[in-house]
Amino acid sequence: MRHDKMLEFTRATKSFGGVKAVNECSFSIKPRVVTALIGPNGAGKTTVFNLACGLLKPDSGSITLAGTEITNLAPEAIALLGVARTFQQPRLFENLTVLENVLLAADSNDGSFWKNFVGANRVTPAKEETARKALSLAGMQLHEDALCRELSYGQKKLVELARSLAKPHQLLLLDEPVAGVNPKLRASTTRILERLRAEKKTILLTEHDLQFALGIADDVIVMDEGCVIAQGAPPAIKRNEKVLEAYLG
Amino acid sequence: MIQVLANGIIAGAIYALVASGFSLVYSTARFVHFAHGATVAAGAYFLYFLSMQLGASFWPSAVVAVAFAAAVGIAMNAFVYKPLRCRNASSLVLLMAGFAMLVLVEAALLIAFGADIKTFNAIRVEKGMEIAGAVITPLQVSIIATAAALLLGLHLFMKRTRLGKTMRAVACNKTLAEARGIDVEKTHTYAFAVSSAIAGVAGVLIGLEQGLEPTMGANLVIKSFTGTVIGGIGSVPGAVLGSLLVGMAENVGAWFLPSGYKDAVAFVLLFAFLLFKPDGLLGINRGVNK
Amino acid sequence: MIEAYFTHLLILICIYLTLAISLQLSMGFTGLFNLGHIAFYAIGAYASALAALAGWPFLAAFAAAGATAAIAGWILSLPTARLKGDYLALATLGFFFVVNAVALNWNDVTKGALGLPGIPKPEIMGVSFADNTAFLGLAALTAAACFLAVRRIAKTPFGNVLQAVRDDELAARSLGKDATKAKATALCASALFAGLAGSLYAHYITFIDPFTFNIGELITVLAMVIIGGLASLEGTVLAVVVLVLLPEPLRFIGMPSSIVGPARQAIYAAILLLILARRPRGFGGRVEAQ
Repeated sequence: MRHDKMLEFTRATKSFGGVKAVNECSFSIKPRVVTALIGPNGAGKTTVFNLACGLLKPDSGSITLAGTEITNLAPEAIALLGVARTFQQPRLFENLTVLENVLLAADSNDGSFWKNFVGANRVTPAKEETARKALSLAGMQLHEDALCRELSYGQKKLVELARSLAKPHQLLLLDEPVAGVNPKLRASTTRILERLRAEKKTILLTEHDLQFALGIADDVIVMDEGCVIAQGAPPAIKRNEKVLEAYLG
Repeated sequence: MIQVLANGIIAGAIYALVASGFSLVYSTARFVHFAHGATVAAGAYFLYFLSMQLGASFWPSAVVAVAFAAAVGIAMNAFVYKPLRCRNASSLVLLMAGFAMLVLVEAALLIAFGADIKTFNAIRVEKGMEIAGAVITPLQVSIIATAAALLLGLHLFMKRTRLGKTMRAVACNKTLAEARGIDVEKTHTYAFAVSSAIAGVAGVLIGLEQGLEPTMGANLVIKSFTGTVIGGIGSVPGAVLGSLLVGMAENVGAWFLPSGYKDAVAFVLLFAFLLFKPDGLLGINRGVNK
Repeated sequence: MIEAYFTHLLILICIYLTLAISLQLSMGFTGLFNLGHIAFYAIGAYASALAALAGWPFLAAFAAAGATAAIAGWILSLPTARLKGDYLALATLGFFFVVNAVALNWNDVTKGALGLPGIPKPEIMGVSFADNTAFLGLAALTAAACFLAVRRIAKTPFGNVLQAVRDDELAARSLGKDATKAKATALCASALFAGLAGSLYAHYITFIDPFTFNIGELITVLAMVIIGGLASLEGTVLAVVVLVLLPEPLRFIGMPSSIVGPARQAIYAAILLLILARRPRGFGGRVEAQ
């Protein structure tokens, strides 16, 4: 079913010990476009991400995903509804190989002990195909047997991206995809995202690198001090006074 | 009922002593120093060795035993914990290392002294006095007094002296403390020295009150940890309060349950708190390994 | 004589293998630092002994041991679901002490400190396994079944889910994996095999008491798991064989038997410390004790 709002926050509020990280925040993002969430440090972007994927629960307000209320669902449930995310610091399964990491994302039947024990759930060629495709999109197909703890920071970010792609999803949340990476990796990540954008994937990303964010996004949401202060296409945002004030003032 | 309270205070006082040291290490170094119980046992047995086996006079030997306990604690840090910390070991690894040291020390004590309960014959067993309806011996009174004095001393030390403030700084924010030029490793050494000395005193007191056996350490660690959790991890005063509570609860429990279950009361409390109130009664939570 | 001695050692190896491999499932693969694993061993032993003494045929008692231990594992998984790291380790250790206390005090059932003597040797369909060589067959079968089962679990996608939960539970959940269910399953399965090991022990030695299942056993099994290497099944086999055989020469150098026990534990504790310091990946080499 098509929805015009893939993700919608309605007056969501989250406090941490007296500090309102997210304050009556409302916004919605459209499907099949790349939306960038930007704002100065402390604006609440990561909190929004954590709320969207269920790692945090809002104190008040609601969150819906493609029309379904997800405000109080557990992270696993939200993930099963089609949210895939990367983290600021890549969270890979360090003692497993690259391929094993991505296969875990592709396999949705690995949670049943008995099914797996009796062999009713195996790693099928189809799942391997999905995993390898995601890895080659991210450019990491040659490393599939490497243990993740032996990868460099940039390589880990790419594997994490591949893992999110291999997971069945309708929304991709990318948390600072180019933070701390060298220019070469930044360029290849940009290429990957452009490809995803051409494939009409729904992506919400957050980034400190404004040039990168405004360059890849179709739509931009600007946050400051826990709430949304502007939303629109990149050219308009670049000229928006409120935005300039938030960053410079 | 008053008797139960009295017994509770006595037990609580001892646990509070052990827990204060334990919590001091936890708050500054951020890991569970499992071998703390072994320090108590080491101090107690060293005193036994000096006074009962070598025949030295009791009170001077007690002082030496406390110093010995402090040395043991410092050695544990220097030879085991510090090298592990330098290799970025997780707090879980440090816990296991501490556990291994505890077993090692207890096995050594078992081999050296045997499994039977030993006592100090240095103090005459005096009749209990009656105070407000409870029977309490002079020894028990002095245990409570000593514990109270030491804990008060520790509190003043932490609040007033430079070293104490340094320890609190490290406990609060290690990186910031380091940036301000504080030698964190040295602070840890001092923390171990102080907490192990207190453990030594606890060992002497327990030896006087209950006697010694090689396995006395493990039990104490769990109870101190319970007290620490109840009072709020990372808070030394909290650990003291929590331990008093554990002592109370144990003795109240002993009234209702068969006496053998007394020890289990602390463990059940630990479970309950970890489940429902992991930040402790006071809700203090400075740095948790979650 | 020599043959009987070796048979005895092999039986011990099989029992410890079952214990250690089952602990690998919960600790090595799933990252659950269950310091209470020996509690499952004890529960299985007592369940089997009591059933057999009540007249149940061996296989039924054996099954009862596994089932009771598995239920205990499930029960333990409930309150510990949200605990991690040190807290989980200490809560599970507390569980171990509670089980110990129950074994020691539930006189009506467990006969408390007296223990349960006269546990019948196994008899399956008229065939007696009283002879040690025959018993070895039984023990070896159990150990093999445990090894094969755990290896199977580890190789399936479910096994990868367990490892994912160990390496980064948050990330696993954000991929849609039900981490809580996975952890509970692992704990249950590991408890089941520990219970079977307990049954074997009870029917071999024909006497159990609460002191059989002590902290020393915990260090032994922990050492086997860490020295073998977390999540390394082959390494664990090697570690079990080495650790069971290593202290045996002590018997022959004239050490009194009361000292052999603690000496063994001291050796295990010392090796554990060494491995933690020098080679935290143990023999197996894949996962570091972190």
